[in-house]
Amino acid sequence: MNWQRYINELIVLGAFLLLLGAFFYKNTALNAQANAGSKSKESIAQIQETVALKEIWADKKTSKKLAKIPKLVSASKVKWRKKGKKIEAKFQNLTARELNNIVSKIFNLAVEIKQLKIQKKALLYDMEFKCKW
Amino acid sequence: MGNTKALILVHHAMERVFLSDTVNIMLTAEFYTLKKERIPVKYTYQAKAIAPSLFDGLLEEGQDYEYMVWKEEDEWTFIAYDVAQIATFLESKGFALSQVAKIFFVQQSLALFDGVMPLGEDKALLAIDSVVVLLPLVVLPESQKPSLVFSNRFTPKKGVSLQSTHHSLLSFPQSLTLAILLSVFTMIFAFDAYTLTHLGGEEEEILLQLEEEYPKLISPTRRKSILAKYQKIDKQERQKRDKIKLLSSMIFKGVTLSSLSLEKDTIKASFSCENSKVSQRIKALAKKHHFKSRSISGSHDLIVEGSL
Repeated sequence: MNWQRYINELIVLGAFLLLLGAFFYKNTALNAQANAGSKSKESIAQIQETVALKEIWADKKTSKKLAKIPKLVSASKVKWRKKGKKIEAKFQNLTARELNNIVSKIFNLAVEIKQLKIQKKALLYDMEFKCKW
Repeated sequence: MGNTKALILVHHAMERVFLSDTVNIMLTAEFYTLKKERIPVKYTYQAKAIAPSLFDGLLEEGQDYEYMVWKEEDEWTFIAYDVAQIATFLESKGFALSQVAKIFFVQQSLALFDGVMPLGEDKALLAIDSVVVLLPLVVLPESQKPSLVFSNRFTPKKGVSLQSTHHSLLSFPQSLTLAILLSVFTMIFAFDAYTLTHLGGEEEEILLQLEEEYPKLISPTRRKSILAKYQKIDKQERQKRDKIKLLSSMIFKGVTLSSLSLEKDTIKASFSCENSKVSQRIKALAKKHHFKSRSISGSHDLIVEGSL
């Protein structure tokens, strides 16, 4: 049989083909791992960002923190209406210091400000705001 | 295990053959050069290494010789043969080289040459002084009558493979070395690939931990939807706070905030300014922070507005 003439070359060829197979196997495994690693990294980043943003914008303590705001001024100056996770508030006759205090407190809370109106009347301020969280 | 292939004695005067099966051949002394030496070497490979130097001046120049070496009692027997020449002869006699399994030399079966073996009509093979030689029948004395018959029993244990010596680019040891080397690399690659496939990366472990901790975020679609929702809120709310902060920075001595309105897409503030100098400064600041500003006629007051 003719192939017997080339038995030595066939041995080397066989070994080379096995090497080639192993090389492609490794290459495929390497690419698969790189892809999986890249996907994992992306997923990790997404989960971490989602968790971080959720911790800020869906903070369960926001409701309690907001409840402290009307107590910053006397009850006669404020009309506070809370409905679920929405608040509509009206403040009247606030001094500049009171206004600053309330605005900074609101803006430091992770709430979605839907509306904010401030109007100066003589030396005092009226303020309206709507928010949800 | 006995050799099942037919053994054919090859000599110059032989008839043309017609083969259907693979055969072994035994070459007479016409096809090789023989030398016996007592040399102080222990192993065959050592003897084979010095074989070419032993035949210095005995062989035709320009030919490519191979050597066969074995030890007989305290002497080494060396045979030098030209594979190309042998192959050419074999082909001229009708041998297909692919049908020649092994080549042997009559000298290898010295022990069996205890008589005279006729070769054609006028020649004979016989052993003289431990060397199998080819002689014309006429020189033999009457007492030495041809008595030996050539058969498969003359097949020695060790032979030369014509295919591997004549046609191969690589010798068997070379191909074996290469194959071993390639196999080592194959194993390294395969091991690497196995490790890569079966051992998870650091990222995968972190991801698994996170997924255990936040099972609601396992689904990529759901995760992306939640993330998009909060990213939008985060961006918009940070923008609102930044704009308010910028407007606050415009309140300084000589400026009073008259009104401020923050709606869905716009933010608007009106400032009461003490004089035109203050008013100009507010205008410059508004421009710097990408707000639009306009004066209220008949006063130094300004309206500053921007989009969200």
